[in-house]
Parts: sequence; C-alpha cells; structure tokens
Amino acid sequence: MFDKSKIGQSFPPFTIEVERGKIRELALAIGDDNPIYQGREEAQAAGYPDVPLYPTSATTFTFWGNRKMISQVVSLGVNLAGVLHGEEEYEYLAPIYPGDKLTGVMTLVDGKTRQGQSGSSMDILTIEIRYTNQHGTPVLNARQVVIARS
Amino acid sequence: MTTNAQAPAKLYYEDVQVGDELPRLVKGPVTHLQLVRYAGASGDFNPLHTDPKIGEALGIGGIIAHGMLIMGFVGQLLSDYVGPTALRKFNARFKGMTRIGDEISCTGTITEKYEADGEARIAGKLQAADQNGDVKVTGTFVAALPHRA
Repeated sequence: MFDKSKIGQSFPPFTIEVERGKIRELALAIGDDNPIYQGREEAQAAGYPDVPLYPTSATTFTFWGNRKMISQVVSLGVNLAGVLHGEEEYEYLAPIYPGDKLTGVMTLVDGKTRQGQSGSSMDILTIEIRYTNQHGTPVLNARQVVIARS
Repeated sequence: MTTNAQAPAKLYYEDVQVGDELPRLVKGPVTHLQLVRYAGASGDFNPLHTDPKIGEALGIGGIIAHGMLIMGFVGQLLSDYVGPTALRKFNARFKGMTRIGDEISCTGTITEKYEADGEARIAGKLQAADQNGDVKVTGTFVAALPHRA
C-alpha cells in the first residue's frame, strides 16, 4: 500500500533538452511518416519554425529525462510489479521546439487505495509533471494515473 | 495561454461543426518489432512489452503493447486533423490490452466549439478500438483553431 502521507510531495527537478532526433524517432516508431517530424527543413517547408513536438512527446521527457523516476515512484510505497497505466493527459501551455531546455517537477497529486475482491487491494495514484522552459515559462503539464497492486 | 502564430493552419474554426467526425485512421497490425522500436523511442523498457516470457509468467499470454503507443496512434489522428501545435489538451484512458496483430482504428467526434483565453477552440472525444470493436483507449482533446479571415 502506498504511503498516503506522500500526497502532495514533489521530487527534485530534472532537466531534459528537446531534441529533433527524439521527435523523429517517436513519430517513426508510431508509424507516422509525416515529414514535419522528420527534420527542420521539412517542418519549415510546411510552415513550422522547426520540428514540432509529437502530441505524445512528453512521454519521452519523462522516461529519458527523469532517470530517477522508478526509484521515486518506489519511494511512494508503490509496488511496481504489474503496475498498470490507467490514464495519461497533456496540457500544452506554450510552444516547445528543439533546443528548448525543460525542467520537470514530479508531484504525487492524489492517491487512494481501493479494496478489490478476494481481499486484494489496488493503489490508484495521480502523478503530475509540470514542465517549464529555459525562460521559466510553464510550457506543458503531464498527468498520469497509475494503478498498482498494494 | 500563448498562441503559436507561426504554426500553419490546417483547419479553420468556421469549417468545423459539432458532430463532425475526424477522418478515421487505421493503424497496424501491431508487430513485435514495432513494440521493440517504440520501447527504444519512448524510453519505456518495461519487458512486459517486449519479452514474451514475462507476459506468459504474468498470466496475460504473451506481450502487450505499450498503452502509450496506442495514445500515439490517436495522437497521429489529431496531428493529421489539426496539426500538433494546435493542441491545447489531450487525454487518454487505457481500457484494454493491445496484442501483436491487432489493427487499431482511431476515431473522433467534435463535441464543442467555444472561445477561451482569447482563442477559438474545438473539443472532441476520441476512441481507439481493434478489429473486433474492443475498445483500447477513450479520450478527449481540445485544440485552438484560427478564424477564417
């Protein structure tokens, strides 16, 4: 069971530089060959100043940027074996382009333990990561719900 | 809220009506190789998505796709429809497991048009389902669109 006293706790910030190649790699892994994600020239030809973020690029900021994420989630008392992803949400607050240096702060914003059948119970946690850019401007909020066996 | 004036317009506010459907996007079939590639691209190396032995040990019968890959498919639907920089909000709820060979159909419907933060916005609901109609993801989005001059 996760530690309810940790609700509201934030972790030390992590930083990630937005890279063109990571955007292209994600688009191609998804099977999207839209040229705007392939390179700056292609993006500019379509009217963008540079390669735009893929709609789900923030997932790469978390996995590649926050190398302590797993130990941080474990420190909340979460059982990572068989953890399920329930929900993911992005709020896009301002433009983000390659070369931007983002700072992310992860916070456990909500959590509850739900009793299931046969005496088992599940932890349902809402984790938010707020990103600001190199100018201190809030640019993106990512929120995820994870479900873990207690 | 910052408006990205540099982004090209794919769609104008006046061209969208509540009840309009987004052009359907069919993705897949999902392959094992795609999951390996997605793991590398996203940085999510949970072996549940790449190692068949783990899935069998957990009793879920082989590997399952990253939920975020399916959200990515729905992201392509939105990228094709409004362009990535028009997005203001994108939400996905993961409803079911996707397996190798599944073909994923992404659909959406416009639910609302309104003005907020000095922008003209549309909102819609989203879905991704497999070849049997089993729902994998439901979601919502908000996008800002320019007015037709």
